[in-house]
Amino acid sequence: MSHTLVSLACHAYGIAAVAYLAYLVRQSDALAMAGRVLVGGGLVLHGVALFELLGAQSGRPVGMAQGFSTLAFLLLAIFLALDVRYRRPVIGAFLTPLAVTVLIPGLLMHGGQSPLPPGVRQPLLPLHITLALLGLAAFAVAAGVGVMYLLMERQVRAKRFGLLFSRLPSLEFLDTLNRRLVVWGFIALSITLATGAFFVASTIGWQWDGKSIATVVAWAVFAAIVNARIFAGWRGRRVALLTMAGFCLVLVSFLTSYDVTASTAAAMRIP
Amino acid sequence: MELVCIGLSHRTAPVVVRERLALSESRQVEVLQRLAQSPVEVLWVSTCNRVEVYLSAPDGMLARERAVSELRALGGDEALDHLYEHRGEAALIHLFRVASSLDSMVLGEAQILGQVKDSFERGQGAGAVRGELTRACAAAFGCAKRVRTETAIGRAATSMASAAVQLASKVFDGLKGKTVLVVGAGEMGELAARHLQQAGATKLFITNRTLARAEALATEVGGVARPFEELFSLLGAADVVVCSTASPVPLFTRENVGALGKGRKGRPLFMVDLAVPRDIDPGVGTLDWVHAYDVDDIQKFVADNAAARAEEAHKAGVLVAQEVARFVKERALREGMPVLARLRQRAEAIARSEVERTLTSLGDGLTDKQRKSIEAMGRAIVNKLLHEPTSRLRAVGPEGEGNRLAGAAAELFGLLEAEMEAADAEASALAPVPQQVATGAKR
Repeated sequence: MSHTLVSLACHAYGIAAVAYLAYLVRQSDALAMAGRVLVGGGLVLHGVALFELLGAQSGRPVGMAQGFSTLAFLLLAIFLALDVRYRRPVIGAFLTPLAVTVLIPGLLMHGGQSPLPPGVRQPLLPLHITLALLGLAAFAVAAGVGVMYLLMERQVRAKRFGLLFSRLPSLEFLDTLNRRLVVWGFIALSITLATGAFFVASTIGWQWDGKSIATVVAWAVFAAIVNARIFAGWRGRRVALLTMAGFCLVLVSFLTSYDVTASTAAAMRIP
Repeated sequence: MELVCIGLSHRTAPVVVRERLALSESRQVEVLQRLAQSPVEVLWVSTCNRVEVYLSAPDGMLARERAVSELRALGGDEALDHLYEHRGEAALIHLFRVASSLDSMVLGEAQILGQVKDSFERGQGAGAVRGELTRACAAAFGCAKRVRTETAIGRAATSMASAAVQLASKVFDGLKGKTVLVVGAGEMGELAARHLQQAGATKLFITNRTLARAEALATEVGGVARPFEELFSLLGAADVVVCSTASPVPLFTRENVGALGKGRKGRPLFMVDLAVPRDIDPGVGTLDWVHAYDVDDIQKFVADNAAARAEEAHKAGVLVAQEVARFVKERALREGMPVLARLRQRAEAIARSEVERTLTSLGDGLTDKQRKSIEAMGRAIVNKLLHEPTSRLRAVGPEGEGNRLAGAAAELFGLLEAEMEAADAEASALAPVPQQVATGAKR
């Protein structure tokens, strides 16, 4: 049931992506509205499926498939909020394809999940996972916006007045949006790191494995971005590039976290 | 009621003539009240690029004469040489095109719609704009909105100064809250200052070697004049700079602009150079936080827009033709008299074709006299048959009962369908070349 719903949602996102890409070429309000409605409808279906699935697991996504699915959901939820708030449908041309790319592995891998070992169940775990995914989604959107910034800056610098130049939002808008997303993502990541450290320390003890190194480095990168913005007036291209690098690190941490679940279970000798 | 438009614009009259006809609001109201004596309605559109009088009157010629004498009193005989005139549907099309900014000096500029709306409200306030012109204006505003939303004409940059503002909007998210510096208070500087002000620039500084000129321009556009010695301190605070001085050497170099970098903390600076020879050395653009554009860049931008603009103007023309056709159709439905006219037209067409057929079948054996009596008979049947309904409809007038009778007649004779079809055919045949509609269709 939930798989069907997510699959339907994925189709809606896919068509929305086409609509937004068409909007990029031919600016028509009808296309933007179609994209908005499709993403909204997809989110409702997707939300029902996730609610059903995660409700049965007391709020924790289990396995990489559900992780991807939740990530895609949050990413598009953030996009829809931005779209409603700023009315710049052109962002959809970059974010909806990204969300579909994230969701497809989630759909394909579905069914291969294993129940969470009882030993690693912690009251803080749902909060930890939700914030981790929310932060990751915010960074994904920030990275998407960063790509748009770099594209736009190239057009502005090279004085190429083509399609992208006329369609993309202003540099200032993209930079401001990046700043807000990074700040929110950074707050989420900080809480994730704190709860994660507490959680690991209270069960198997802190270990410098791939996941924790990637997460700490990513946190440091984002801390540096936020500080450089506030105190050194950094902005623009440098920050966009750093955001993308930081996002890659958080992504690595996300991808390795499922190995960690397994290794934690192994360390605790849980079959 | 006939619609007449008479006036002059940047297309026909030089500014010396146009400015003579530019009236204050209170004087416009006086003129409106003089011209608009029931049942005549008057709309007086006055902008820096045009002065137009739209009249809706039972006798178009009479109303026109009075408007012309009013214009002569204001602008002298010379003004009359620059007048143009549109009547009937051509006047409607002109009104729609003006409101949609298709007749503007800067094609697609946004202010004209607001200016026409102001004129409309002033006319309503003075009691000069009532039923007929209210409906025409409402339809014209609707058309302008369609043109704005369904074509990209408003987005196409059309002059150097407006292109500069458009380019700035690709770096900054609007000019609200931004500090703008205009260097050079010449003609180009003035245009730039106006465009920047209209684009919503919050702080507008103007500097010029001769301070008096900067002051004059600042008062005119609502900016602040500053002495030329403060150039670099102003530059330090600015977000957007537009320069157009006659300086033979560049004012801004990589060194003197780069020195400001520290204080700005990476805050971007958008510089446009409209001067030839250039005011901004090309090296300035290599600074990381500066976006510098010169005349050639702007021209390239405008040229890249030109093709798109032509296409958009064409699209907009099609929309105007559609909207005018719709308005005319609706008006025909509303008014009784056109139903009568259509009925007569229809009957005459039938009679003519039947007479033709009879004459053809009778061959060449007929004398001229016989031929003429057959033709007269056709006309007489039509006249006798239509005499009664015509006089009855005329007797009850266009309101209430007349409307009902006219509606019934239209229904019985299937006139509306025929009319709609004719209007649609006309619109689709003429739509690709909207100019032709203006000359081709007169009521």
